[in-house]
Amino acid sequence: MDDTWLKQNTFHYKDFQDIENLVAVKAEKGLTISLCLPTLNEEKTIGKEIVILRSELMTRFPLIDEIVVVDSGSTDRTGEVARAFGAEFYRADDILPELGPRRGKGENLWKALYITRGDIIVYLDADIKNIHHRFAYGLIGPLVLKDGIRYAKAFYDRPIATGKNVVRPTGGGRVTELVIRPLFSIYFPELTQILQPLSGEYAAYRDILEQVPFPIGYGIETSLILDICQRWGMDVICQVDLEKRIHRNQDTRALGKMAFVVMQTFFRRLNRLGALSLGPPMHNQMIQYRLVGDAYLPELFNCDGLERPPMIDVPAYRNKFERRRPTAENGAEIVPGVDKDDLGD
Amino acid sequence: MDAIIARLPEFVQAIEAIREIVLANVVLLGQIPSPTFQEQHRTVAFLERLTQAQVDECTTDGYRNPVGIVRGTDSSRPPIFVVAHLDTPFGKEVDHDYTVGENDIIGPGVLDNSVGVGVLASLPLIFRHLDLRFAADIVLAGVIQSMGRGNLRGVRHLLKTWPTPIGGAVALEGFELGRLDHYSDGMLRAEIECRIRSEHTPGHGHDPRFRPNPILVLNEAINKILEIRLPQRPRSQVIVGRISGGLKHGVIPYSAQLGIEIQSTSHQMVKSISDQIQDLVTGLRYEHEVDTDLKIISNVKAARLPFHHPLVKAAGRIISALGIQPSLSHSESELSVFLSRHIPAVALGLTFGENLHQLDARMEIAPLSRGIAQVLGVLLALDGGICHG
Repeated sequence: MDDTWLKQNTFHYKDFQDIENLVAVKAEKGLTISLCLPTLNEEKTIGKEIVILRSELMTRFPLIDEIVVVDSGSTDRTGEVARAFGAEFYRADDILPELGPRRGKGENLWKALYITRGDIIVYLDADIKNIHHRFAYGLIGPLVLKDGIRYAKAFYDRPIATGKNVVRPTGGGRVTELVIRPLFSIYFPELTQILQPLSGEYAAYRDILEQVPFPIGYGIETSLILDICQRWGMDVICQVDLEKRIHRNQDTRALGKMAFVVMQTFFRRLNRLGALSLGPPMHNQMIQYRLVGDAYLPELFNCDGLERPPMIDVPAYRNKFERRRPTAENGAEIVPGVDKDDLGD
Repeated sequence: MDAIIARLPEFVQAIEAIREIVLANVVLLGQIPSPTFQEQHRTVAFLERLTQAQVDECTTDGYRNPVGIVRGTDSSRPPIFVVAHLDTPFGKEVDHDYTVGENDIIGPGVLDNSVGVGVLASLPLIFRHLDLRFAADIVLAGVIQSMGRGNLRGVRHLLKTWPTPIGGAVALEGFELGRLDHYSDGMLRAEIECRIRSEHTPGHGHDPRFRPNPILVLNEAINKILEIRLPQRPRSQVIVGRISGGLKHGVIPYSAQLGIEIQSTSHQMVKSISDQIQDLVTGLRYEHEVDTDLKIISNVKAARLPFHHPLVKAAGRIISALGIQPSLSHSESELSVFLSRHIPAVALGLTFGENLHQLDARMEIAPLSRGIAQVLGVLLALDGGICHG
């Protein structure tokens, strides 16, 4: 197993902790950077994230130019808290409403491309209990300093808060180890060098994010890796050790649903690449059972596997950012290869 | 003083504009568990924050108190200290997870004393933001081993070994805004432990049903403490604050512990009461055939700035000018160590809140800018020579 990529493209956040230097190089290159936090009922953690990132990477060092929260319809005070600390808050449904409403993290990240201005976009989950500005500058660092890197992915230790104010020292990453790593090992062994492909923290240049489709739900992390690797190769990707990340624990049933979506996304990509013929259509329903009294009752979780097209395909986006689709050598526009069924409209 | 008072609204406004810097420091430092004697991680982080803020000198003293020095313009002036204790009453097993809401921050130790530490770490940037320059050096010290058994060891060591005279000091306390502590009562904190003797433990022939009961012995100790005649002048009291012991309902315990604190405006009276309690504890040992110990875990000498001291009056004026009613009181914290060394000092509260020592302690965000403005005002007053007429 060739682990050249692992050795050359793996960094530690401390490699980039000279934030003053990052700001200087950013200015020299004329870059702008946006931070996007996708939310759904995150009132307990969103304030902390915005306060720390704003303090450290906007007020003290002008590394980030804007903090944008894209929300899936929170019923708690996520919006009020975000606004109280100066973040721009948007309901996902209010962005490009002509394309219709969808629900999911991937949807929020995709729509963030439309409302943010940055050349680089940093995505951080909004449920990080031990948020620290290293989560952002650690991902921005290689994009700004390392030529050729276009997509930076986080990995970390993952203690889980188990409630009652007690922290367990290990755990987490179950979907990674039980689902995506075995699948990568079978079909794309080189991708196993990406230690936590499902981590929710990553940053990338707009010019690659706008060219790939976005599954609207949990499949977004899987699809980004597969699509970016397919189109630009692994060398544009790096991973950064952000050390400890504490997040809320999810029960096995919730992880089961996540695993379902990840596998669905993976197999669709595999099918598109011609690496696997799926035969009959995949079912879009995850079925779990619950014992109620003496009866086993099914619980159904629907996931249509909808994907948004590459943002560059959306005329409103191209107009807003005065962008064109990438062109081939003969001058023809390249239309990214997304099945019509995946467009979601 | 009038010039300082006139600048307070400007301070409040400027601090408000960069409040996230202070809040970030409160969270980043407060989320690091820091029980007394185990403050290392918070110490390192605090020092890092000072270094990142480009404080002129950052170091730790011989006792590992982290210290930053903002150099003044007149090297002949004695330095002014600002201190906040780094330790908290919560162990490392407690999840120090803070929630930042629109109006408040909630989490263990946030009022005592994450907000004090967060403000202390933010002062260099606030000075710079307001373009405040001082003639004297400003020494920013996060002190370790303050609470409980720590017995203020950190600050004691810091002052004992500081090489120059000290011009004045401000101790930062999270709770509560308006608090203006200018004196310290004499205080002695002790634990009384009662244990059954080895001949009463199982396997020594005694019927375990009739062995002495340490909890009842301590009950007797409480009764005897309550019988001690306490003078109204000097004002004195004994607080029975903690009791623990026992295994389960139907078993006579092997040991029990009682935590007491003696407080008095006279240190001699503290000593006298302490001697009486020591005697009665010894007496119980013989009366009840148990082992008893009285262990002193901390003590503070009584010391004060009179309420008409210029520093106290100036601090009171500043607090009032910010629209807050000053509450003159006492504090047996870092303040007492400064006062006992005849260094003019006050302790100031920074904000309002509730559930002081509970896991869901809550600090209000909005009052904090006034709380910091008062600290700046008092520092400017000290720097302007308020203690020297």
